[in-house]
Formats: sequence, C-alpha cells, structure tokens
Amino acid sequence: MRQALKKSGGTISLLFSVIILLAGWWLLALVLNSPAVPPPLGALKCFLASLRGDLSIHLGVSLYRVLVSLMLAAVLGVPLGILLGKNPDLDARISPMIYLTYPVPKVVFMPIFLILLGIGDISKIVLITLIIFYQILVTTRDAAKNLEKGYISSVRSLGGGSRDLYLHVFLPGCLPSILTSLRLGLGTAMAVLFLAETYATQEGIGFFIMDSLSRMNYEEMFAGIIAMGLMGFFLYIILDKTEKLLCGWVHL
Amino acid sequence: MQDYFLSIKSLKVDYEQKGEPVTALDAVNFSLNQGQRGVIIGPSGCGKSTLISVLAGLNSHYSGQVLIGGKPPASGGETALILQDFGLLPWKTVWDNVILGLRLRKKNTGEIKTAAETVLEKLGLGSLGKRFPAQLSGGQRQRVAIARALVLEPKLLLMDEPFSSLDALTREELQDFLLEIWEETKLTILLITHNIEEAVLLGQKILIMSPCPGQIQQEVENSLAGASHLRGEVQFLEMCSFLRSFLRGRAHDAASA
Ligand SMILES: Nc1ncnc2c1ncn2[C@@H]1O[C@H](COP(=O)(O)OP(=O)(O)OP(=O)(O)O)[C@@H](O)[C@H]1O
Ligand SMILES: [Mg+2]
Repeated sequence: MRQALKKSGGTISLLFSVIILLAGWWLLALVLNSPAVPPPLGALKCFLASLRGDLSIHLGVSLYRVLVSLMLAAVLGVPLGILLGKNPDLDARISPMIYLTYPVPKVVFMPIFLILLGIGDISKIVLITLIIFYQILVTTRDAAKNLEKGYISSVRSLGGGSRDLYLHVFLPGCLPSILTSLRLGLGTAMAVLFLAETYATQEGIGFFIMDSLSRMNYEEMFAGIIAMGLMGFFLYIILDKTEKLLCGWVHL
Repeated sequence: MQDYFLSIKSLKVDYEQKGEPVTALDAVNFSLNQGQRGVIIGPSGCGKSTLISVLAGLNSHYSGQVLIGGKPPASGGETALILQDFGLLPWKTVWDNVILGLRLRKKNTGEIKTAAETVLEKLGLGSLGKRFPAQLSGGQRQRVAIARALVLEPKLLLMDEPFSSLDALTREELQDFLLEIWEETKLTILLITHNIEEAVLLGQKILIMSPCPGQIQQEVENSLAGASHLRGEVQFLEMCSFLRSFLRGRAHDAASA
C-alpha cells in the first residue's frame, strides 16, 4: 500500500515535471519569438515524424555507442578498481599515474583517436570508455578501500579465498558506488557522445542535431534534442532500477 | 604431560607500522583443554584481536608454536570466528549469511539446506531467514553470527568482543545463550572481552593480558564460570574485584613507568 502510494507519487511528480518543463519551453519560445526556439508542440510532432524516418537509426547508433562504452568502462574499471582497493601497495604505486592523467580532459585526444581508429564507432566508443573508465576506477577503488575489514576477515575465516572475496565481499560491497558512478558517468558519456558525433561522422544523434542546424530546420533540431534527452532519461531509469534490484539491502 | 586441544608456545607477532616493526604479541603461552572455555581480558591495544587472528588462520606471520587439535591454525577448517560488528555481510540475507561457510566448502545443496534450517530453528531464528542484517536487532544479529559459526560444526569457537555493542540486558541474555550452547556442544571456546563480569561469567580459564608487547600476565582458574544465577552475588563480585585489581595494577604500573 505504502509502496503503491510512493510509486504513484513518483509518477505524478514526474508528470508534473514534464508539464512544467513543456510550459517553460513554450513560454520561452513565445518570449523569444525566434525560429531557433520553436514551440514544443511543433517540435514534438516533428520528433514523432522523424522517429518514423531516419531519427530512429541515428538514435540506435548513439544508444549502441553509449551502452557499449558504459559496459566496457565497467568491465575494465571495476576489477581494476577492486584490485587497487584491496592491495594498498599496488595502489600506492599505480595511483600517482592515475592522479596525473585523471584531470587531463580526455576529449582533447579525440582528433588523435579519429586519426588512429578511424571515423567509425570505435573512435567514439574508445573516447567515451576512457572518460567513464577513470570515474569508475577511482570510485570502485575508494569503495573497496573503505570496506570494513571485518567483512573480509569473516569471509576468510569461513574459508573464502581471493575469488570468494571478490564475489561475496568486494563486488557486492562496491556495487552501490559502482552504480552511482555509472549514473554520474552517464551524463558525461552523453555530453562526450554529442561532441564526438558532431565531428567527421554521418551517424548518431549528435550528427542529426548539427545537420538539422546547418539546414536551419530548427524543429528537426529540437526533435534531435528531445531524442537525446529521452535517451539519457531512459538509460538513467534503467540504471536506477538496476540499483534498486541489485542493492535492495541499501534501501531498507 | 597433558594433551591440550589448543596450545600456544612462545607466540610472537610483529607488525610493521610506518616501516618500523611493532611487537604486538611476545612470549605468549597458554593452553586450553578440549571443551574448555577460555576468556581473554586486557586493555585496548594489547594484542587480543591479533591473537585471535592468528588462531583463526588469518595471520600466518607469527613465530612460536600454535597448535589446534595438533595442527597449525588454518582458515576454513575447524575453527569459527565471530566478530563484534561487521561479521555478517549486509548485502546477504540471514539465510545467505548462514549458508556462506557451507557454500564455500562446496557442500551439496540438500545438505546445506538441512543444516541451515536446523541451526536457525534451534537458535530461534527460523522466521528471520529473508531479512537483511540491518533489519535485525543487535542481539538477533549476533545470534545469526553464532548460527553461521555453529552450522560449520567447528571444534574451536573464537569470539572477538562478540557482545560489546549490545545493551546490558541483551548482553546477559546472549551470555546465557552461549552457555546453553556450550552445555550442548561442549565446544572449545576462546572469547575476548573488555567486560570483567563477562569474563567471570563465561571463562573457566581467564587470561589477563598486559600491553606493549602483549603478554599473558596472569592465568586465573575460575570456579564461578557458568553460574549465571550467581550474577550479582557476593562471591561473583569478589571475583570481579580480584580481576579488576589485576587490570588496574597493571595500568598503574604502566602509568608510573
Ligand atoms: N594490521 C596492523 N598493522 C599494524 N599494526 C597493527 C595492525 N593490527 C594491530 N596493530 C597493532 O598491534 C597492537 C595490537 O592490536 P590489536 O588489535 O590486536 O589489539 P586489541 O587488544 O584487540 O585492542 P582492542 O581491545 O582495542 O580491540 C596495537 O598496537 C595495534 O596498533
Ligand atoms: Mg580488538
């Protein structure tokens, strides 16, 4: 009962936010009265129409790039983060390298990736992966480092080896932090994706938006923006649900 | 010569702190018979947890001789460990916590189920299997920790301040509970405490430790052990003040040194 209420409350506040957002947009369009900011109704109509056209293809390409990047970043960052977190000696040796390279904005390497990896998906995936990887690595390492030592001793005393510690202590213990960093990373990933897709490519929502802009088709441009926003939103919801599902013990 | 179940001879443990070796334990000698309850009491930092971790097979960097049932300590063997907090994994339900040891031992599913059900039922935890540790009271949590240890049918039960974070009543309840379990299983138990009453109640052999480096300062055979009805009686309190004077005296020596 209480859960049902909470759930419907969530839906209502979501609906409310959407209405406010649309109203704000509509007002802005009214005030600015510029073709660059079309009113929401036209943009939404155009969005639905474009979905039946090539927007869905661009959406698919972008989704693919983000998903693969996030997954790769997690697959690389999580085990390495745990490894560093549980081995302070190794961490002391590796972390200077991390701190030296972490603040360098990785987008500056985009031209190099384009040259080395071509203008296809790989250069974009590598760029996004690289950026998210750092965030996941650092978060996971800190989470692993701060895990109560009691969990480790108790599982070891039960006869657990290194693999068991990964499986029963480090991975589940770090999972909430990992998912949080993925959620935060998602925003970064979308931003980088847009940037990467506006450059030397014919595919993806970034391209769709910039292409519409160059044709001064602003409704279509906003259709692209809506698509990008919805994509981010749904990915976020998926991560949120995953967190609720896998980390039920955090939300008791 | 008597054959002890647990025997420790000239145990020495060094740690490294900022590159400097620190001796946590030195020349520790004591032994326990099979089925005996030993209690270690001593000031903070005197090396009690260090001693337990050696016995639990978690720290193999020691010198001297440690034998449990004639064998050197090993984790995952016949020794079970119970900690003050943080022993139970918060991401696992009571059930999954209890069966973890059996799973790690690659027991088959049927066996695991029967063993865990029996233990949970016996400890009055039958209905709590689906809960997470955070959904239990402190007392229930320590019961689960005991269940997780007992389900492995250990020969030696090591407890590091198991009841320290409990309120007085729950603590007494669990002390009695531990005594009941001991009556039934005749396990060898080594328990660490900061609480003098707890030492007198539970320890057939009370080992008083002194710090820097940790040593057994005094061994006391305690005939009052297990007599929970004597809690608060004169002999009980006399025994407590006897122990207290030892612990105090030591602190006094340390202060004047
Ligand atoms: N992993 C470690 N590395 C370095 N020094 C340690 C380590 N563990 C313990 N020590 C040191 O060894 C000594 C004994 O520590 P230990 O934890 O065994 O004491 P304790 O008697 O259990 O204390 P308490 O009653 O506070 O639990 C302390 O001086 C402590 O600083
Ligand atoms: Mg301790």
